[in-house]
Amino acid sequence: MGEARTGAGALARPEAGLEAEVAKLLPFLALGARADLQAEAARHVLELTGSGPGRTLLAGQAALLRALVELAAAPAPAPARDAARALVNLAAEPGLHEPLLQAEPELPARLLGRALDPQWPWAEEAAAVLANLSREPAPCAALMAALEVAEPGESGLGRLVRALCTPGYNARAPLHYLGPMLSNLSQRPAARAFLLDPDRCVVQRLLPLTQFPDSSVRRGGVVGTLRNCCFEHRHHEWLLGPEVDILPFLLLPLAGPEDFSEEEMERLPVDLQYLPPDKQREPDADIRKMLIEAIMLLTATAPGRQQVRKQGAYLILRELHSWEPEPDVRVACEKLIQVLIGDEPEQGMENLLEVQVPEDVEQQLQRLDRQEQEQHTREPSEELAPEPRAGGATPT
Amino acid sequence: MEQWESDADADADDAMDAFLEKFQNETYSGGFHEDQWEEEFEKVPLFMRKAPSEIDPNENPDLACLQSIIFDEERSPEEQAKTYKNEGNDYFKEKDYKKAVISYSEGLKKKCTDPDLNAVLYTNRAAAQYYLGNFRSALNDVTAAKKLKPCHLKAIIRGALCHLELKNFAEAVNWCDEGLQIDAREKKLLEMRAKADKLKRTEQRDIRKAKMKEKKEQNHNKALLQAVKARNIKLVSEAASEDEDSDSEDLGELSLDRLSSENRYGARLSVDEQGRLSWPVLFLYPEHTQSDFIAAFHEDSRFIDHLMVMFGETPSWDLEQKYCPNNLEIYFEDDGGTELYRVPLKSTLLHVLQHPRYFVKALIPAFLVCVGASGFCKNYVRGKKVHQVK
Repeated sequence: MGEARTGAGALARPEAGLEAEVAKLLPFLALGARADLQAEAARHVLELTGSGPGRTLLAGQAALLRALVELAAAPAPAPARDAARALVNLAAEPGLHEPLLQAEPELPARLLGRALDPQWPWAEEAAAVLANLSREPAPCAALMAALEVAEPGESGLGRLVRALCTPGYNARAPLHYLGPMLSNLSQRPAARAFLLDPDRCVVQRLLPLTQFPDSSVRRGGVVGTLRNCCFEHRHHEWLLGPEVDILPFLLLPLAGPEDFSEEEMERLPVDLQYLPPDKQREPDADIRKMLIEAIMLLTATAPGRQQVRKQGAYLILRELHSWEPEPDVRVACEKLIQVLIGDEPEQGMENLLEVQVPEDVEQQLQRLDRQEQEQHTREPSEELAPEPRAGGATPT
Repeated sequence: MEQWESDADADADDAMDAFLEKFQNETYSGGFHEDQWEEEFEKVPLFMRKAPSEIDPNENPDLACLQSIIFDEERSPEEQAKTYKNEGNDYFKEKDYKKAVISYSEGLKKKCTDPDLNAVLYTNRAAAQYYLGNFRSALNDVTAAKKLKPCHLKAIIRGALCHLELKNFAEAVNWCDEGLQIDAREKKLLEMRAKADKLKRTEQRDIRKAKMKEKKEQNHNKALLQAVKARNIKLVSEAASEDEDSDSEDLGELSLDRLSSENRYGARLSVDEQGRLSWPVLFLYPEHTQSDFIAAFHEDSRFIDHLMVMFGETPSWDLEQKYCPNNLEIYFEDDGGTELYRVPLKSTLLHVLQHPRYFVKALIPAFLVCVGASGFCKNYVRGKKVHQVK
């Protein structure tokens, strides 16, 4: 890994020397090594993962990585927490996913077991590793495979949703990172199929979490999941209908303490009526944008548009638009309002997700999009889980 | 063949012949009577179309006999319980839920050791109680059933239904989720969960709506009281507190309550868009012990204007036809009832209410009206000190 060296004097030594140094940590990290030395070694590794070059260095140490995964899943007195946090930092680098999985192909399965274990104290860290890993398609597929290893009675995904939606599932870990993990998984059609199974109650359980006050990580994960589900236009009618009733839950975080007239109030869905004067809007701009995107997706078909209009989305978006401080969120809001108040499109355009765009028009639209992006300098909307905060650059 | 016929056979033949002869001579007495054969037919257990709900051993000895066999105390508790269960199920099918409950209860009394059977008895009894509208009893039964058999879906479904009826929507959702843990695709549970969740959210909306209405009401009333205070109008509570001086805050509370509900005349103090008050006002006619109630007397309107309207036609009790607007005199009493104050007809209500000696009782200003020159009026004011309001 020939990366340019910068910074501290320690890195002035030749590469091979450093790698040899790091490799010396290996015996101390082995299971069964002396507890205090093991803890010390793990802490050292964690510190290394705090810097880019450190991470790159470790990426080449397959045996060390394997030992780290072992430790991350090992019971006390093993330094499982530090080992897990080291993995979180490593997994945050997209370039390191491959070496990680190569070093330990069982990583997803091992950590999944820990993340979903109600008794495991470091379940949140395990979930954070998986949330980071699953941003890339290959590890995401591996995680999906690990989930599909069916347990009797409950599928892996079912258990994941249950762990996410049941308060107190794990008394010692809040498990917010299951949110972004699910969001990444929901990019796969098989995951969406499970989430949107009309013979089960799955997506419905996620809906109240759009209002979860204690964690924007969890909220963001859930909203991202819902947005990805909204790509399935065949399910729109069901999603907008009484069996799921998704729209109020998407609108509620966007609504403020507006005092609508009685007549306007009666037009809104029940969940949006008579909101108390201390009602706050979703504070995270990225999440607001994802919510708007999700609603936009639901307007792709004509019946969907009708439903969204009928359920009073315009009133909420109108108020949001006058409040919204972030320019690109405001733009997204405007576009959605345009769709809601605009005329119905011509024949053949009823499902915007299925419309065949002629190639030259496609290119022009892409050019315009690029220009717009440059204007706002933001990441494209189809983003994966945001950077986790657990085990960040400052090791303790 | 002839050699096979023995003496025994010959005897048998003779007996047979004798037996057959009897039929030709004697009439059969054990058969149905020709004229009441249908009734008798109904009494044979095998043929009866409908079993009597109470079995009288004298009327139906055969049935009673059969009953004693199946309900025989000597059978095992399990068997007896099962019999009661079946009996209960039969009553249930006939929608005789009261009897079903009794049967199931009898089955449970047997205290048999089969938890499945008991769970079913509890669940079935819960269902019968449900149809009788005894939702709490039904809930107790399914809870007992669940204890015996945690995976008994029917009990869980019934429990969720009960909570729905009792409007415990959150609990209903919880029970549905419990059931869905056992069978994630149970249609009834999926339906119920969606229904209960929607009802829960509607209920939350109703609470929010009521809260907001109450707040608005309170603010409105506060503003009204402020307006009254700003005009220096004195209020007095209806229930005179004997010893204590009710301070202005208590008075405020009392008045707030009174402002919220309409008085017995169906009218209340109100404010218009220009911030002007309109009061419900009582005119008392002590001569004839009559009264008139003015629902909304605008504070800027004059007494004479109202009198012109009210006495445009002679009231029915005015036998002498003397109550004409120009003849009338209006007074109010002071708090002690010993002094009278005469109100000029051209005053506005506000002007009078602001008089330092005027106290509004129970938020309804009251005034005494009589004919000035009349004997009654002269009598009425005699003995009291009369002041003139400017």
